[in-house]
Amino acid sequence: MTDEDVPALVSLTLSFRPLANQIGPLRTLLSDLCKPHVADADGLSRLLLAAHELLENIVKYSVGEVAEFHLRLEAKASGLQVRLRTKNRAAPERMADARWRLDALAAANDPIAHYDELIRESAGRRDVSGLGLARIPAESEMELFYDTEQDWLILTAEGNASERGGR
Amino acid sequence: MSALQLTAVGGEGFQVTPTLVDFNLRLVFTGSGDMHATAVINEYLKLVHEEALRIGLAQVSCDFKQLTFMNSSCFKSFVVWIDTVKNSEIRYQIAFLTNPNLPWQRRSLEALRRLAANLVTIETIA
Repeated sequence: MTDEDVPALVSLTLSFRPLANQIGPLRTLLSDLCKPHVADADGLSRLLLAAHELLENIVKYSVGEVAEFHLRLEAKASGLQVRLRTKNRAAPERMADARWRLDALAAANDPIAHYDELIRESAGRRDVSGLGLARIPAESEMELFYDTEQDWLILTAEGNASERGGR
Repeated sequence: MSALQLTAVGGEGFQVTPTLVDFNLRLVFTGSGDMHATAVINEYLKLVHEEALRIGLAQVSCDFKQLTFMNSSCFKSFVVWIDTVKNSEIRYQIAFLTNPNLPWQRRSLEALRRLAANLVTIETIA
């Protein structure tokens, strides 16, 4: 049985032209969809933080008309498995910056120590934040992966949460 | 002591309201600190620092009880502010007052405390 064959508690796929004022309503929708299944406020909060940062990332850096967002919440014997995925076209300079940041993140042994280091480095810079992607593993406790297909950047965040009612 | 020259800022979805008691400035944040709030927070924290030096504040308290979320760009504004205070000849304490029902707050703010443990405190308010 493949991953996609396992019935999901929530599976949401959006293909849309991302706009800043859509993020708040999308967060609310994700919260409403996931809240009945996630046992604790902390688990839901971590999921929504990661979703928010990924959505802002595509709003800020997408080029072209369409981006994709996918959420899958699945019940496993060990608890809930959360997968968030975004896909957007990126300009070459943005793609290079994202790859550099994500490779550094993947090479870091401790995501919190890496995040702290980025915070210290960014303190004197008034321009871009540069913290959004590193925040996901540090604060959401989710693993972040990336892939590319030509000028498309694909980000995947995966993590766990406790299931309401347990198994 | 001089009167406070800061005023409330924000609009629909996000506001900051200041009050001054003795030498403690309390900033009450309400709403969501998202992309629309980033520029407001960034500029406001610069004014807070100028005001803190002008009045000689002992502490600035950021009341997040009604702040439902803060994105990484707004968070970055706090990083810059704390770093500015850290490197200032005249320093003041920064306290974050958190809502226990909003778990992201403690996770996010712990990173700010680690940035300047001698300046930043985190308290939970009921």
